Amino acid sequence: MQIRLQVERSDPASGETRLQLYELELRREATLLDCLEQIKDELDGTLAFRRSCREGICGSCAVRIDGRTALACRTPVAELVAGGRLPTIAPIGNLPVVRDLVVEMEPMWQKMRAVEPFLRPTSEPSGDGRETVVPPARLEAVRKEALCINCGACVSECDAMSVSPEFLGPHALAKAWRFVGDPREEETRPRLKGLSGEHGIWECTRCYLCNERCPKGVDPRDAIAKLGAEAFAVGLVRDRGARHAKWFVTSARTTGWLRESELVVKTLGIAVSVTKIPLALRLFRRGKAPLPLPRHKASELQPARELRRIVAGQDRRGAQGIVQGERVLESIELVRAPERPAPEAEDF
Amino acid sequence: MRRIAYYKGCLAGLSARELDSSTRALAPKLGLELVELENVTCCGAGDIQTADPDYALHLNARILSEAERAGLDRILTVCNVCTLNLRQAARQLSDDELRARVNENLERSGARPYSGGVQVTHLLWLIARGEGLEQLKEVAVKKLDGLRVAPFYGCQLLRPSKLMGFEDPDRPSSLEAVIEACGAEPVDYPAKTLCCGFPILLAREKTSLAELARPLEQALEAGAEAMVTSCPLCHLSLDAWQKSVERTRGKKLGLPIFHLSQMVALAAGLEPAQLELSRHVVSMGPVLARLESPLGGER
Amino acid sequence: MLGDEGCEGVLAWDLARGGVRALAAKAVILATGGSGRVYHGSTNAHACTADGMAMALRAGLPLEDLEFVQFHPTTLFPSGLLVTEAVRGEGGYLLNSSGARFMRHYAPEAMELASRDVVSRGEQTEIDEGRSVEGSLLLDMRHFGREKMLERFHGTRDLALTYAGIDPLERPIPVRPGAHYHMGGVATNVDGRTEIANVFAAGEVACVSLHGANRLGGNSLMETIVFGRRAGRAAAEEALGKSGGAELGPSARSGGEREIVKLLERREGERPRSIRDELGASMHENFGVFREEGKMRRQLELLEDLRERYQQVLVEDKGEVWNSDLTQALELGFQLDLAVCMVSAGLERRESRGAHSRPEDYPERDDQNFLKHSLVRWSNDWLDLSWKPVTITRWQPRRRAY
Repeated sequence: MQIRLQVERSDPASGETRLQLYELELRREATLLDCLEQIKDELDGTLAFRRSCREGICGSCAVRIDGRTALACRTPVAELVAGGRLPTIAPIGNLPVVRDLVVEMEPMWQKMRAVEPFLRPTSEPSGDGRETVVPPARLEAVRKEALCINCGACVSECDAMSVSPEFLGPHALAKAWRFVGDPREEETRPRLKGLSGEHGIWECTRCYLCNERCPKGVDPRDAIAKLGAEAFAVGLVRDRGARHAKWFVTSARTTGWLRESELVVKTLGIAVSVTKIPLALRLFRRGKAPLPLPRHKASELQPARELRRIVAGQDRRGAQGIVQGERVLESIELVRAPERPAPEAEDF
Repeated sequence: MRRIAYYKGCLAGLSARELDSSTRALAPKLGLELVELENVTCCGAGDIQTADPDYALHLNARILSEAERAGLDRILTVCNVCTLNLRQAARQLSDDELRARVNENLERSGARPYSGGVQVTHLLWLIARGEGLEQLKEVAVKKLDGLRVAPFYGCQLLRPSKLMGFEDPDRPSSLEAVIEACGAEPVDYPAKTLCCGFPILLAREKTSLAELARPLEQALEAGAEAMVTSCPLCHLSLDAWQKSVERTRGKKLGLPIFHLSQMVALAAGLEPAQLELSRHVVSMGPVLARLESPLGGER
Repeated sequence: MLGDEGCEGVLAWDLARGGVRALAAKAVILATGGSGRVYHGSTNAHACTADGMAMALRAGLPLEDLEFVQFHPTTLFPSGLLVTEAVRGEGGYLLNSSGARFMRHYAPEAMELASRDVVSRGEQTEIDEGRSVEGSLLLDMRHFGREKMLERFHGTRDLALTYAGIDPLERPIPVRPGAHYHMGGVATNVDGRTEIANVFAAGEVACVSLHGANRLGGNSLMETIVFGRRAGRAAAEEALGKSGGAELGPSARSGGEREIVKLLERREGERPRSIRDELGASMHENFGVFREEGKMRRQLELLEDLRERYQQVLVEDKGEVWNSDLTQALELGFQLDLAVCMVSAGLERRESRGAHSRPEDYPERDDQNFLKHSLVRWSNDWLDLSWKPVTITRWQPRRRAY
């Protein structure tokens, strides 16, 4: 099969970047990594890229292909060039480029270290020297997050991070959940507190790009939601983001619909809300800032209130409320293909 | 007339009332009889999904069961976020054990249990392809005169694609198809599938506005005269917070933002007044002038 | 880098910034993994290029049992990726070109569940005797059914679809024996200590010997955990017992720098690819699942030739920052050196034992003469082969039968 692709090259000395075209011949089932290897071996020994396992487990070879981050070793090249397309291969985003397809990973490791990715049990291990046994069901909460291979695809795509580089990001936060949610962890509350800072849980913009790109199905956005849910469960609700979320709950169980008019004050507090008065007036003039009264209520509110009370008394509080639905959601996707599968049999 | 359950969500019921009024006005033209669901609440907006996820699942189960009560197996949504939340809940509830538990709670609370099988479709999906698109083309009698309209998809109608799955999340074309069917000209720009920042608009304003600036600036640079979005939350950011972006970026913008229903309704010959275009913060005046339609009395 | 009192540190090439660095150390632990890439068909990652083994060799340390290479029977063709043993464990069949479950002839009781070397030998025989499908055997999982496949073998199916373009629900997948694990390596004791007091080795690079002539499935993981810990502890103790960290002078780097400069300055030569490909293919041909004297001798000649060609290997990338062209050329050198030692040891072991199989010339195990570990030492470009007794305590060697 004839293959043509473009690679974004860069010169570490001058910082100059350019697109370089390569043409080669490879077997039909070749992956993008196979192409890069062949290019390096036979066409251009100066092309720099990371790789190791070539089977999607070491996390070394993440690249951007026409803007989409993927593992080169898991990307069949036939689909990339189908229909005469000329794909552009570039280094991953949100990290400084070292050279060609190699990025500086240190900022990502720094954020990972910042969340202390190891267990911190405070009690002594059991005296008899035997291992701590954890029933598999209790590790269900962190099963997906434990699949992370540190490839950086989520970091590359993170929208919030692209405008706010200090955001902890999906990789570090998913890693954090893997430990916060581990039944052996005993420092949950301090961890959650630390993760609720300016650039923590509540800066996630919920764009779902991380979920979309993760080659292992970690679903970092869901891990961030789990962190938020657990923060709520232990009463860490001071952050604006938490207050914002809380107001939706309060609204649902009082009027059913979101009590929009009070959302700003409930989220930001009175003092800060005062600064928003010009905006509020602007909205009010258009009728977009509804008055708090009369209340916009849904009908039949009693069940909505009752439900809150009922579920609060059951054992699905906090992150469990998310974990309970994970298995069935996973079963949707059978094989992860880089190109979108055709819409299911569902008739839209 | 095709009967379909209609779940309008929170904003369309209040601050984005114009979305609801234009959808209702448009529906008969598309052969739809909207059966508004009663006894429903907010879908959670992703916020209850974080603050109290089990509660969020139950609220969504209730919304789905209310469609069943109305004898309907399909819910029409007009908001990206509602669509994602309901579809995710529907998937989760396809697990028998989980559904049994949720139903037990629903019944205890006085709500109706959910038996499964309700599908959730955003209005955009209904009209962007196949029969729906053909019908749209017929219905769009007042072509929008080549108006250059930038599509804004946002996030949650496209991703996660395993839950949404209507089209390629990175190369969507549904809004473009609808724009063209309405006789307008779609304008392309990179940020159309990125985040508008709404979820963190209040909690992390600086980050949010930095995100919001991108579609607005890029669309204008690409020559857009208006923007259209499928989500009232995105609309609120793009429209009501546009001046805030102007302030932080020091650049004038002035890009009018359509709700999807409004743009389609205009193309279908409905009067601007019916579409409550005057409720927008960024004036629709220039667009209407361009299309030579009277504004319905205001401004 | 060796001095009067043992190892003084290591020379390293700084991949990120370029340049040779001399890193002083009180203790050094080699944990560089295996050597699978010496073979063209290997389950190993690109990184497994025998670096630590070759470095130890060049530093004069003895390497033990290098002739024992484990070939995993189900490596996917053409990538060489490992298809988990669990497939056979759950009832997968191995078929030859006639669609027959050939393991009946090699292990009638255990069938596909016989140990890795037995199955690999069965497969290789089928291949050699012309009953393969283009050099591969077929691993059949069609009878698993959709539910079991998706529930338990989602990953395997994904692998087959992505790397071989085949859906195991519909067609059997092509597999063949591939180099998977090297039982041999740097000779150490149970604390990971080598002959040089402050040099340690642990994991696949080492040979304790934990696995003898044949490794059991799963024990490599155990090896890294247990012996990594032991070597780590012993090395820490060793380092704590030493005083003062002598700085390494600039002369320490000069040897390494000379070698690198030579490589970088060369303007004409042969690209590593062809040497690497010939190494990989010939090792399969002449030092694969089955060994035989004539082939091994031929391989040593071939390797000599390849090593000579390597003296003119061309590195195209002359840059400093992230020069993987250079590092890959260095890795090729390591592999060539190791290959010579592997084949030499294999030639000297005139018996069949574990993974070292010589059905044509020495088909039987010979405890009388060869119940011993081989040791290879490289000094002054001369290969020195010696032997070491096997430590036998509780378990007495017995005949191995299935």
